Amino acid sequence: MENLILIFISTILINNVVLSYFLGICPFLGVSGKMESALGMGMAVTFVMTLATSISWLIYYLILERFGLLFLEYIVFILVIASLVQIVEMFIRKYSTNLYQSLGIYLPLITSNCAILGVALFMVVKDYSFLEAVVFGFSGGLGFSLVLIVMAGIREELEFADIPKVFKGAPLTLITAGILALIFMGFSGLGGG
Amino acid sequence: MAQVIAATIVFGLIGLAFSLLLSFLNRKLKVPDDPRVKEILNILPGLNCGACGFSSCKAYAQAIVEDPSKMKGCRPGGDQVNKKVAKAIGKKENLKKQKKMLVVCSCGAEEKDKKTTHNYQGLKNCQSAHITGGAIDCVYGCLGFGDCQEACPVGAITLKNNKVYIDQKKCILCGKCIKACSRNLFKIIPAKELGNYFIACNNKDRLKEVKDVCNRGCITCGICTKVEDSPYELVDNLSRINYKNIKNKKSLEEGKNKCPTNCIDIIN
Repeated sequence: MENLILIFISTILINNVVLSYFLGICPFLGVSGKMESALGMGMAVTFVMTLATSISWLIYYLILERFGLLFLEYIVFILVIASLVQIVEMFIRKYSTNLYQSLGIYLPLITSNCAILGVALFMVVKDYSFLEAVVFGFSGGLGFSLVLIVMAGIREELEFADIPKVFKGAPLTLITAGILALIFMGFSGLGGG
Repeated sequence: MAQVIAATIVFGLIGLAFSLLLSFLNRKLKVPDDPRVKEILNILPGLNCGACGFSSCKAYAQAIVEDPSKMKGCRPGGDQVNKKVAKAIGKKENLKKQKKMLVVCSCGAEEKDKKTTHNYQGLKNCQSAHITGGAIDCVYGCLGFGDCQEACPVGAITLKNNKVYIDQKKCILCGKCIKACSRNLFKIIPAKELGNYFIACNNKDRLKEVKDVCNRGCITCGICTKVEDSPYELVDNLSRINYKNIKNKKSLEEGKNKCPTNCIDIIN
């Protein structure tokens, strides 16, 4: 139990997928303009990441390992993620047209979101049990959402700030992302690393 | 070899399982597209100009199918298109007939009128020229590199002798030239049957400063405001037509004729 809590906290804060491993930068910069779409994107990624990690674990240990086909892990994980994204897209389109439109192209782009594939592969590298893998995937998604929401909050405030013209738009977004990454580095002393 | 076969079979089966799941869910969760969206899309001009306030013609079509009260009318399409669209979404009440508006460029100076004391060698577009002070001495007037011409989606703007001419028949009032112009020269005026007069100058300086930079600038003499029933007025050292205050054609015409620098223009 203690182990699970440790994984949960360390994945969200210390080993944050976006700000420590720098995975999933594309949606991090692309969808963090508005709070509403950031929330939606965060939820979609959390959902896909949790499911992808658990299903990947099952396939990896129950099928691939049994038949000695561990070299298939990359392509199988990509297949799992792509299918899950399709399912999530269908659900969102059916139940929330607004969210579907505000996520736009970034929703199918979750397929190629390296954060999700990254978390699935880390799960294998770190040799987690099934329960640990589920918690790892879920907290990875939460960490992604947290950063996305923090960024969206900052960017919404920046809309009203008097910014020098050269910094407007992309430059300031990247600077903000850099400062956020530095701040998250501060968590690395937490719990002995 | 055995490994290759095993890999093919295992991967094929995993893929099959997922595709079966996907096709099942696809049938369950299908969202039927409203056929009216496509129908309206065919009626609309398809310029994606954004004048209606939506990002594209498709977004507009979708919005009005869901909520007919959002229908504001398509300016490029005009009354005919709007009538057809209203019919397609089954909207009964008549749309308010749109007031006809015109876009004019408020710099009427040609190349020979604009004075230049320096040689501009920067990038050949208005935006850069405006930042560096410009290719002409007048800091209010048209720079003449044709940013507006490039921005116009229907090719209604032409430049002749560094002066902008707008083809009112082609113009769809999308407002892209207004955003493109670094010097905010484009103005929207209401169309009048008496003749569409407008002030072809944007210079907010006074007599001598204007004379120094341009032969056709408004020198704030105020002669046009002194004719009988004059709709002209002076605001910010610049003559302006108060379009709500136009009483007769004679006053407009007389003001135009009396202008010493000929900076009151008319659209034919």
